[in-house]
Amino acid sequence: MSTADHQANHDVVKHSERHEGPQKHIIVFIFSIILTAIAFAAVSAGGVNAAFTVILLLVMAVLQVLVQLGYWMHLKDRGHLMPILFMIGGFFVAGTAIVTALYWVWW
Amino acid sequence: MSTTHAETVDGALPHEPEKATLEGRNKVLSFWLFLGGEAVLFGTLFATFLALRNQTNEGPTAGELFQLPMTAAATLILLVSSLTSVFAVQAMHRHKVAALRVWLMITVLLGLGFLGLEIYEFAEYVRAEKFGMTTSAFSSAFYTLVGFHGAHVAFGVLWISVLIGQLYKKGLTVVTAPKVYVSAMYWHFIDVVWVFIFTVVYLLGKVG
Amino acid sequence: MAHAHSVKRHKGLMDWLTTVDHKKIAILYLLAGGLFFGIGGIEAVLIRLQLIKPMNDFVSAQTFNELITMHGTTMIFLGVMPVIFALMNAVIPLQIGARDVAFPFLNSLGFWTFLFGGILLNLSWIMGGAPDAGWTAYTPLSTTTYSTTHGVDFYTVGLQIAGLGTLIGGINFLATIITMRAPGMSFMRMPMFTWTSFITSAMILFAFPAITVGLVLLSFDRILGANFFEVANGGNPVLWQHIFWIFGHPEVYILILPAFGVISEVIPTFARKRLFGYSSMVFATILIAFLGFMVWAHHMFTTGLGPVANALFSIATMLIAVPTGIKIFNWLFTMWGGQIRFTSPNLFAIGFIPTFVMGGVTGVMLASAPADFQFHDTYFVVAHFHYVIVGGLVSGLLSGLHYWWPKMFGRMLNESLGKLSFWFFIIGFHLTFFVQHFLGLMGMQRRVFTYLPNQGFDTLNMVSTIGAILMGIGILIFLINAIVTATKPKGVADDPWEDGRTLEWAIPSPPPEYNFKQIPLVRGIDALWKEKMAGNKGMTPAEPLGPIHMPSPTILPFVMSVGIFIAGLGFMFSKEQFSNSFMSLIFNNWIVVIIGLLITFGSMLLRSLYDDHGWHIEVDELDEEGVKA
Repeated sequence: MSTADHQANHDVVKHSERHEGPQKHIIVFIFSIILTAIAFAAVSAGGVNAAFTVILLLVMAVLQVLVQLGYWMHLKDRGHLMPILFMIGGFFVAGTAIVTALYWVWW
Repeated sequence: MSTTHAETVDGALPHEPEKATLEGRNKVLSFWLFLGGEAVLFGTLFATFLALRNQTNEGPTAGELFQLPMTAAATLILLVSSLTSVFAVQAMHRHKVAALRVWLMITVLLGLGFLGLEIYEFAEYVRAEKFGMTTSAFSSAFYTLVGFHGAHVAFGVLWISVLIGQLYKKGLTVVTAPKVYVSAMYWHFIDVVWVFIFTVVYLLGKVG
Repeated sequence: MAHAHSVKRHKGLMDWLTTVDHKKIAILYLLAGGLFFGIGGIEAVLIRLQLIKPMNDFVSAQTFNELITMHGTTMIFLGVMPVIFALMNAVIPLQIGARDVAFPFLNSLGFWTFLFGGILLNLSWIMGGAPDAGWTAYTPLSTTTYSTTHGVDFYTVGLQIAGLGTLIGGINFLATIITMRAPGMSFMRMPMFTWTSFITSAMILFAFPAITVGLVLLSFDRILGANFFEVANGGNPVLWQHIFWIFGHPEVYILILPAFGVISEVIPTFARKRLFGYSSMVFATILIAFLGFMVWAHHMFTTGLGPVANALFSIATMLIAVPTGIKIFNWLFTMWGGQIRFTSPNLFAIGFIPTFVMGGVTGVMLASAPADFQFHDTYFVVAHFHYVIVGGLVSGLLSGLHYWWPKMFGRMLNESLGKLSFWFFIIGFHLTFFVQHFLGLMGMQRRVFTYLPNQGFDTLNMVSTIGAILMGIGILIFLINAIVTATKPKGVADDPWEDGRTLEWAIPSPPPEYNFKQIPLVRGIDALWKEKMAGNKGMTPAEPLGPIHMPSPTILPFVMSVGIFIAGLGFMFSKEQFSNSFMSLIFNNWIVVIIGLLITFGSMLLRSLYDDHGWHIEVDELDEEGVKA
């Protein structure tokens, strides 16, 4: 390894000190665990109003997905305009299909 | 994990090697586009499931079938594996190839654990509950939705395993880095889909 | 990084099987599209011959059902889609100033999977009967109870494979347009054909996964005994209709938008005027795409969705007339005051406008739910969608083919033959389909193989069939024109129409394999026209002359598609009772499926393990060829 290469490598190491640490991702993980736990607890406890439980479960799921998309998949970072647009598009069409199946399919 | 395997790393490798080349950036972008399409794919499967979830044809119902502890275990496994693939990408950004490989291996093992649980679950349903593909519209929709997700997990396990091999052979380069990054995106997306599956299929199935 | 890799250059057939060059893939798409378009056209003529007189017995009722099913399916999925992809491949990288698409390998893979899917579907004719449940394959008609041959299995598996190819192509073009544009070409400077192709690709991305799921469900019902659409076991046929049309309605906009793009290129060129209302055209395209996903249930007014849903979908459908009207007026205003030349591409483009307006007007009539109860499943609907798809889309594609033919092949199509084919086509078209409006209003049902005499149907059906034959002659003249032109020597100018406005006319016809010796700098809408008006000889390069990196040719996409094809056949016949014990061994134990998947995944693995470093064209080679930037 030449000196120049070594220098470059050194720079990289130095640069890596400025990398984000794992803390943020561990927080996201704990947040996800809590949301999941709330959802499971709400169902296993039973006795809670069913309509309320449904709404609670969906809110927990959407929150968890948003956090994971934003942080773990970096959608909140700069330069992700196209990914965000196309994910919104995908979720929008998926939502259309789901609403249809719930309200416009009958026997 | 203690050594950084500097010899496998090109000294000039940038901080985000997956975005160093146009090919790499194209790969990441197109994978996002693909995930947009996957969202519609799973959305349509969810729609099918939601339309047919109460059509049990006198077979087992969701409330009778599902065991929440098993679902919770599967959920935990997949959630942890999503975290380990975050760590893998972080290791990649620090150019720590050995750590990267270890995190990917843990991810693969967790993926295998998830698959094992799912196969056991399906086998139990078929054996003990007489709940097969042909039992009812609900059973068809259940196996198709959850099975599609399982097939995605299986493909991810194979894919990441191949990448681990490539990291041994080729090291971390501007060619291998986008592959790792994209496979991590795929893995997160599988986890995202699972969040909706455990919520909509299992938990809402229990609520009724 | 001097990767001095020598590249194996193939000749003849191997060159075409291994090519990753978008210009050659365009020609492959055109050939395949032409083949399937021909098959679909013959089916159309057979349908019209059966209907030429009352109580005809030219074909049986069963054959008629197979003909209408295969005509619709072939034309939509295998006829016009690949011709659209041919134009997109031939033109888009050139229009945005790129050397290739984002993923040359995927481009090739998309073509071969599409082709093998199409072949699988058409094998049904010689393997026990074609699908017979209509191109919409409505359940329960398409379930094993009512469709007992393997026809619908060919439909589900064949379309699944072809659809995969289309999806791959769509993602590839999205990435290409987002990342590969030349310096200076912002989104709002892109040519309209590139814009409409971009939006079409986005619609492909969001619509095709829905039909993927639909086809999976139907094939699981038919082959694995699942119950998605089996009412007796809790399934639901309305679900199929929703899934099909959530895909199916966007699909028709996927088809028409590129044709809008072609018209938006041809009309300004031959009017020697800038496209009127460029920004509103872009906006209208996006709006049409959005509304395209919001109106699928207008195909299902008579299903019984109820008055609220029907009213909502009625209004949404009528709204589409607004952005479409914007486009029509923009084309008219582009021609207004222009120096119009009536070349063959421009004839097709000008013919497109009134024809498409007529199809649009009947569309608004059909959008009215109460009226639709009367029109539904009559020849009025048949007339409507042929006006937009044949009079609109096919006219647009023929316009585009005449327009870009010199760029694709280096030879001008014969203008006299082009004009002759236009007049046969347009007159034949209106004769065929105009009268069908009235047949429908008089109550003639679509998809019925014959009709009784003396209901007022006889003369109009005769007229319609004569029109179909004239239209067929028009297409044949185009084919003869193409063949005659192929025998002429190459050597048209860079800008053979002399008024080219966009980047593809700045480079030789046909372009060298690297397209641009130096990537051009774009300084406005209609990049080339802007330079012409500034008195410049050509485009200003945006980079110094240097070696050009090229992707290596590869056979893997072809092999992968063969693998999928084998797996598809294996899946279809997995539950078949074979008399031959060897056949039953390999099919009933999924061995064929596994072999097919191994071939495909094995090829994927090879692709992943061996990096494609590509090869370089050196500067002195560029100079030898003496090409302008």
